[in-house]
Amino acid sequence: MEPIITIKNLSKQYSGKTVLNNINLDVYPGSIIGYIGPNGAGKSTTVKILTGIIADYIGDVTVAGKNLHEDLLEVKKMIGYVPETAELYDLLTPYEYLGFIGKLYHLPDHVIEERSQRMLDSFGLLANQHQRMDSFSKGMRQKVLLTSGLLHNPSIVILDEPLSGLDANAVIMVKELLQVLKQEGKTIFYCSHMMDVVEKVSDRIVLINNGNIIADGTVRELKQQENETLEQIFARLTGNEHIGSKADAFASVFNTNAPTE
Amino acid sequence: MLNKLLLRLVMLFRGIWTGMGADTAQLANILAIKLVMDDRKPMSFGRQRKQKKDIKYATWLSVVFSLLTGFFYLFFLFGIKDPVSSLFMYFTIFLFMLTFTLITDFSNVLFDPKEKYVLLPRPVNDKTIFLARTLHSFIYLFRIVVPMSLPGWVALGIQYGWQSAVLFPFVLVLMVFIALFLVNACYLLLLRFVKPEKFKEALSYFQIVFSILLFAMYYMLPRLMENNMSEQLNISANPLFRLLPSYWLASSWLWILPGAATAFRWYSLAAVLFPVLCLWITVRWLAPTFAARIGAIDASDAVMPVAAKRTQKGKRFYSRVADMVNRNDTVKAGFLMTWLQTSRSRTFKMRIYPAFAYIPIYFIYMFLLNGQSVSAALQHLPEKKNKLFVLLYMSTFVLSQAITYVTISDQYKAAWVYYASPVGKPGNIMIGAFKAIWIKYFLPFYTAIVVFALYFWGIAVIPDLILSLLNVSLFSLLIMRIAYRCFPFSKSEQINNAGGRTMIRVFLTFFTIGLLGAAHYFASTTLPWLLYVFMALSCILLWLVWDSYANTSWADMAVADE
Repeated sequence: MEPIITIKNLSKQYSGKTVLNNINLDVYPGSIIGYIGPNGAGKSTTVKILTGIIADYIGDVTVAGKNLHEDLLEVKKMIGYVPETAELYDLLTPYEYLGFIGKLYHLPDHVIEERSQRMLDSFGLLANQHQRMDSFSKGMRQKVLLTSGLLHNPSIVILDEPLSGLDANAVIMVKELLQVLKQEGKTIFYCSHMMDVVEKVSDRIVLINNGNIIADGTVRELKQQENETLEQIFARLTGNEHIGSKADAFASVFNTNAPTE
Repeated sequence: MLNKLLLRLVMLFRGIWTGMGADTAQLANILAIKLVMDDRKPMSFGRQRKQKKDIKYATWLSVVFSLLTGFFYLFFLFGIKDPVSSLFMYFTIFLFMLTFTLITDFSNVLFDPKEKYVLLPRPVNDKTIFLARTLHSFIYLFRIVVPMSLPGWVALGIQYGWQSAVLFPFVLVLMVFIALFLVNACYLLLLRFVKPEKFKEALSYFQIVFSILLFAMYYMLPRLMENNMSEQLNISANPLFRLLPSYWLASSWLWILPGAATAFRWYSLAAVLFPVLCLWITVRWLAPTFAARIGAIDASDAVMPVAAKRTQKGKRFYSRVADMVNRNDTVKAGFLMTWLQTSRSRTFKMRIYPAFAYIPIYFIYMFLLNGQSVSAALQHLPEKKNKLFVLLYMSTFVLSQAITYVTISDQYKAAWVYYASPVGKPGNIMIGAFKAIWIKYFLPFYTAIVVFALYFWGIAVIPDLILSLLNVSLFSLLIMRIAYRCFPFSKSEQINNAGGRTMIRVFLTFFTIGLLGAAHYFASTTLPWLLYVFMALSCILLWLVWDSYANTSWADMAVADE
């Protein structure tokens, strides 16, 4: 099978500091990649390069045979992106916003109308579709954001903390949605800090630290012991096994020098 | 209504936009949605949505003031006999105003940070994004320009007949294009040659320097011309003026004026060619990397910051000042927060720094020189006490500018902390903010004025210095108490009607402060004892307003929001 995303020797620097250091990665269609790493490891830089937000990098990124440097617009048409920062034009209503986004992909009006209605309905947001989003809760915005990322039926879906702010029911729904999308042959790039979720949904884990991929494989392959969780794997590989003692140190602040309250 | 009309107008040229490589369907879509958003007022924290009425009201008010400004510009249109020279003056003033508005108020339109996540991941090409921004600002400028140009249009139509009335709108569009593309080209050049990480920094300094420069030129140009100016002035005679865009615009009237100097009419072609050239250069050479560069602007935020070391030991200067002037912790919190935030917020610095330069420039050109040399002017200064008052009361501008912008921030939502923390009286935070502004920005500036005044007028003016200090502080605090009963950095900025609102503020400020200054001048020159009465009165009022502002309760704030 041909990989749908190929990243070759990808490097990126900001003012002399290396953020991505020679990353190589092949992603195959119909799989869910759990892309994890500590804060500042280079995760979101990778995602921003893939989605075309950052354009100056060293190396080659190919999506479905198209080079990102040469066919950026074609690549963007295939990708659906849900950014971590829930930035959307919140002075608009979901109806207006989705209409706007749909037109950027040149979707006909009736298609936008039908898809957005059905998607919002699944999220239980149909009643709010003519309400301005600046009054929305974080979860409601996230639902609109997810809808706007999937509206054009992308073959690659890049999700950055897609569950943030969602209520429990919506979380279950999105997790199931991921499986359905995968069965349809879509590729999902899943970035998150919630290890238990990543462990459950991903076919393959890619762990990045200090701009390098330090682990790549299924959860089973990464385990050293039978009952090790992804959380523990993460702590082991990113060199932070003494977290427990740090938490103690943090809490002990109140015991030593807080006489007043 | 107006927006839709303007959108249609802009999209009439879809052929051109397509030719430039833009996707017109996306372009129209982006523009339409941006215009919708501009008309909506964002909610600030803890406030219910306002009624639509006051937006309409604000729009109308800004239209009225634009009209008034337009009438004011007529003065330039008929001050000189030679029609091209008078038109030249008219368009020069107009172009200055436009460029100035563009640079100070519209950079937010050109560099909207949200776009990075909403537009950049979508299949929209650079040229479309770039044109969308440019045309968006065009529509906004046009909205300001239309009412402002109405008096000129009518007057010119009466003076030179229907041909002139037909010609005017075309020239007007060209004028807006010239201003827009010129500023755009500057910004894009900056974007091209400055590192993305440094861009925001560079941009704000560019804006500060450029607006000060424009301001200085605005007052220097009439003065320059005055030297050889009379009713008989003929601009066309001077080749230097023929290089200016406003001359090109003015010379287009030579096509319709009977018996005009026909050779110069060809300059009007430059007015058409220049914006086209600018646009072509920007779209061709600068726009292709536009989106990539925009994307890179904030990208460096993702890098883990290098742990900064504190270089200084012990308490910092501002911290010591804060301890000195505040006894209450809440006031101190407001003070410190305002002090630090004003030092780092680019938007704030951009608004306040030029004000420091405007006052000396304004003073020198309008009130000091008045057609004489610098040394002569300084020699006669001590005899002219009225100029001291102009200077003293002009210092209000620094304070009022700071007051206006201290409530505004891009991160206005972060103001939730005030609502979540146990703040008993929100007024404490506000008075802390006022103190910080007063000490940080107004006091040093006023001290400089005091030194200047003592040097030229001697110690006899000390009572005047004290009274004006009281009056200016009182006036500013009163403005804050009436119009800005809200937390520092807690409101979002509205670009909509920005031009109009600024004008209203300036007009009102100058009017009121002018009255105060006049009363003070009257007392100082005719009834010196009245000076002390005024002083006492100002003190009492200051104390009252201070008390009322510092004790603003949550309930008062809710009222002020409505």
